[in-house]
Amino acid sequence: MTAVTAVTDHTDHADRPDDDTASRAREDEEIWDDGLIARRVNENSENDEADGTGTPAGDEAPRPAPARSGRPRGAAGAGPSAYDKPSRYGRSSGYDSGHGSTSVYDIGASRETTALYEGPLRGRLDALRELIGLSRTRLDSTTLAEAGRVLDEAAARRRLSDRHTVVAVAGATGSGKSTLFNALAGVMISETGVRRPTTAAPIGCSWTDGAAGLFDRLGIPGRLRRRPLQGSDADAMEGLVLVDLPDHDSAAEEHREHVDRILRLVDAVIWVVDPEKYADAVLHERYLRPMAGHAEVMFVVLNQVDRLPGDAADQVLDDLRRLLDEDGVALGEHGEPGATVLALSALTGQGVGELREALGQFTRERGAATRRLEADLDAVAADLRPVYAAEAAHAPGRARVGLSEEAREEIADRRAEAAGATAVGQAAERAWRRHANKACGTPWLRLWRWYEARRSPYSSILRPTLRPPVDEEATARARVEHAVRTVADEAAAGLPTPWGQAVREAAARGAEGLPEALDELALRAGLPQGRPPRPGWWPVAVLAQAAMTLLQIVGGLWLGGQIVGLADPNLGVPVLLMLSGILGGPGVEWLSRMAARGPARRYGFEAERRLREAAAGCGRARVLDPVAAELLRYREVREQYVRMARRNASFG
Amino acid sequence: MLQKAVKIGHSSHVVTLDVRPQLLDALTTLRERVAAARFPLPLPGAPRARANRDELLAQLDDYLVPRLKAPEAPLLAVVGGSTGAGKSTLVNSLVGRQVSEAGVLRPTTRTPVLVCHPDDRHWFAGVRILPDLTRVWVPRQDGDEPAPPAEDDPVLRVETADTLPAGLALLDAPDIDCLVAENRVLAAQLICAADVWVTVTTAARYADAVPWHLLRTAKEHDATLVTVLDRVPHQVVAEVSLQFEALLAKAGLGDVPRFTVPELPESTGGGGLLPATAVAPLREWLAQQVRDSAARQGALARTAHGALGSLNSRLPELAGAVAAQYAAALRLTAAVDEAYESEHARVRERLQAGAVLAGDALKRWRAYPLDCGPSELLDAVSAGLETLLLCAVTAADERVDEAWRREPAARLPELAHHRDNGADHRIGMAVRRWQRVLEEYVEDEIRAVDRADKSAAPDPEVLTALLATALLGGRRASSAGEGLAARVGAHGALRLRDRGGRLLTAYLDKVLGAERERRLAPLDALGVHPEPQAELIAALSVLQKER
Repeated sequence: MTAVTAVTDHTDHADRPDDDTASRAREDEEIWDDGLIARRVNENSENDEADGTGTPAGDEAPRPAPARSGRPRGAAGAGPSAYDKPSRYGRSSGYDSGHGSTSVYDIGASRETTALYEGPLRGRLDALRELIGLSRTRLDSTTLAEAGRVLDEAAARRRLSDRHTVVAVAGATGSGKSTLFNALAGVMISETGVRRPTTAAPIGCSWTDGAAGLFDRLGIPGRLRRRPLQGSDADAMEGLVLVDLPDHDSAAEEHREHVDRILRLVDAVIWVVDPEKYADAVLHERYLRPMAGHAEVMFVVLNQVDRLPGDAADQVLDDLRRLLDEDGVALGEHGEPGATVLALSALTGQGVGELREALGQFTRERGAATRRLEADLDAVAADLRPVYAAEAAHAPGRARVGLSEEAREEIADRRAEAAGATAVGQAAERAWRRHANKACGTPWLRLWRWYEARRSPYSSILRPTLRPPVDEEATARARVEHAVRTVADEAAAGLPTPWGQAVREAAARGAEGLPEALDELALRAGLPQGRPPRPGWWPVAVLAQAAMTLLQIVGGLWLGGQIVGLADPNLGVPVLLMLSGILGGPGVEWLSRMAARGPARRYGFEAERRLREAAAGCGRARVLDPVAAELLRYREVREQYVRMARRNASFG
Repeated sequence: MLQKAVKIGHSSHVVTLDVRPQLLDALTTLRERVAAARFPLPLPGAPRARANRDELLAQLDDYLVPRLKAPEAPLLAVVGGSTGAGKSTLVNSLVGRQVSEAGVLRPTTRTPVLVCHPDDRHWFAGVRILPDLTRVWVPRQDGDEPAPPAEDDPVLRVETADTLPAGLALLDAPDIDCLVAENRVLAAQLICAADVWVTVTTAARYADAVPWHLLRTAKEHDATLVTVLDRVPHQVVAEVSLQFEALLAKAGLGDVPRFTVPELPESTGGGGLLPATAVAPLREWLAQQVRDSAARQGALARTAHGALGSLNSRLPELAGAVAAQYAAALRLTAAVDEAYESEHARVRERLQAGAVLAGDALKRWRAYPLDCGPSELLDAVSAGLETLLLCAVTAADERVDEAWRREPAARLPELAHHRDNGADHRIGMAVRRWQRVLEEYVEDEIRAVDRADKSAAPDPEVLTALLATALLGGRRASSAGEGLAARVGAHGALRLRDRGGRLLTAYLDKVLGAERERRLAPLDALGVHPEPQAELIAALSVLQKER
């Protein structure tokens, strides 16, 4: 069963141009008839075969020895990082659909290419991976899909040869892509004609060996891989892999799909336009404007200048430059980085030499893949900007994201209010003073008060004779809810929507058990039970008050005695005694009230403080800490984003 | 010449287009309905619906209504195609002099040019067709610079040339795939205003998607169509034209008249005219349409009926988009209603449970009357009520936000909710007003009781505080009710509580209702109603009956 599948799988590849390896594999297949082993062998021979593709018979590309010696695949992991980890993001990329294994390229390429992806790009890619990891749970996967795809493509490209530069030739129908392709290759590779559309599937042409992996990734089958004419300029164009694309604007939908897919994978693009079509909306709106950031890896050539009379070619070229400028494509003039714009005629050969030279120079620099990925990262950074970067206008004057001190204070206040801390404090203070007054007041005043209370028909109802029953749900739910919402809003202000949402959710989660917890706290730290404590000076005050009363009584009795005749008539002393008693009583009362004020306030403050602190602590642990953690996470993510978004960031 | 054309026009009126006033009335009604349709909510189909509406309106204004009103008006042939197809050169060559600017730089034609016979000028001078295009007149001296349009309004240049047969007008439209988006819209509008669609494509473009879109649209509208395969290099004329024919046949357009114009050095040069022989067949065909009254009627009737027929599918689509708008608005309203209703229920439940008498207010109540005055108690209770209401409103708004986040229609910036919109202020006002009305009730009651015992008139402040506590405190505040009864009697207390309770319910409804209205106000202001849908369909059915 497995053997059968293995065989069919194998024959798929048997029609490759160099059947040297294929026939060897077929021999293998006859010898190893066992299903499992046969499959393994096929796997190996497939790899060999892929290696050999694009290599002229007998001319083996120099390869590091371990590549063939069946080293375990894990060796690929010895590379500088773990880019090989499959990501769940990203659409299917063509390179891994066709072949069972790409491990050979892994080993070979990672050895060769370590130098290419060191430096800024590496740092940015690392930052992007961190970013995706950190924000996966906060953002929906469609937002991150493009970022994941770029990461995957970067990893895939990295595994493949950096000696090659993959350049696609793209353009509208009839602009002469294939003619230009043939002119560059020097041989008739791609079919040209007046029938539109001409080229239906991409055709590849490699100037240097070892591009099989790149072709596999582009999904170009072996029968469409070509070699250029061996000539004098083969060295000048070393490392170039040219891909002739189908048109992007014909009525044939699948052509456009081909173009869109391959344009995402190549290192650079030559846009071929002609005098008739150079201002097509589809070209500018669908391709050039979105890819304006990729100007550095873009050539725009105006083909068919032989059709234009006189100086019209220059006019059209200038107009093309103007349009490109309007699209936002930077033009590579005066040595600045940007797109190269050329006029040529593939038919007559006019200007092709210039393009060839530019391409050769471009390829020799070997920077196209890196620059393309940099541009991809720039595009991803721009796409993700609204998700990660807070709008500055939204929160003026907020230098940093986080909870301000005032916000913390405010929420503490609100929560204390919800628990009734202020009221408790005031009530405690007043109770203390009431007791003090009661204890140190003149007896006559107390007598009068008692009488008043007796006379009043309804005060007895309201006078709590017992301690009130323990209240359930003593905390104001609405206040707690409101406080939490306010603090969450405060913290989320200025944050990008998904992160603001995360902060609110964290606060809401924390608030779930908060009222109950505050209820419990209020029971423990609430109004002090029983009478307030008595300070040491109370007995003295009571004694003084009693002495004053005694003075009044003694003075009164003395006067009474005089009236009755029991005592010697002496008005001065008893009246003085009575007067001092009558004045001294309220005096003592006033003094003790003054003296009681301080301790009463302290007592009230103490009660309030206890409840307030308990409530604040509870709120901090349940709400503020999760919110702060969420904010910290956002800050971390933003740092990664900034690292990812910044070009020329120093590595590490 | 002129008389002949008019005569033909009149005869064609009688024979082909049976234009009854009812049909025109129906069409005018339909036009008004279409013009009234609005798509303010950013639904996925809304931009498309807006474009459809504008197109439909333009076609009704520019073509259908004027054509049915004046069947004798000259035949309008609009030359349309993609950039660089050589439309202007073709028009110039047909006219025999340079009326439209041609050149190598794209887009060439920025201002549409209409060419007609001098005697037909009055047909196009006014706003009979294309009313929203400003007419620009070029002095009769040829070769001058066209008068530059001062403003950004779209303009139409009208040229006259006596080389054209009377009764025929040619319109050189901008590119249908122009880089300037407004030009694309304008091109579509102009093409829709045509009696005869002349679609131009080239040897390099005949397989492009863009010209085929145009051809398919022409087929859908069943318009009178001519195709021109322009700029064909003479080496490949036979092959390309065969290819094109095959493609046309495949698309079901095999019977469309087809003309091939070879690529000549003049095709690209600035202002060159093609030799008369190159465009003679097309010219002859167009002249034939004007000369032969049967052919003219056929061409007119076909395009007009095609346009009328296309309404059958386009109007229901528009009506569907209107319905989708209304459905989205309903969903948004329902989300708001649901959020506020559930919050309303929650508030009532909390009031019943005495949740206002909690926290600060509860502590005050427990300290009353020994350690707390009545005004303090009243303030604390009112503050509790205020917080409860504010909390309900913010919670409802949050629920609305949550629900609306899933609705694409809610992405309109006008519908965005601002968190500090003064709700706390409004609620504070409402609670204070409630408190004041409560005080009035208490004073009423005291006045009623006064007569019995003048000396022991209860303190209104105490009574108000007790009443508020009793109303808001639920079971916890039962002793407040007792205190109230002891002061104003059981009957008086019952009356007060009854009136106060009703007042509380009324204020609660008022506060939440007002906030809900505020939230819905921007949505209501958009004016999304279900009526336009029914009206559109009704107008269409009237039209169908009249045809």
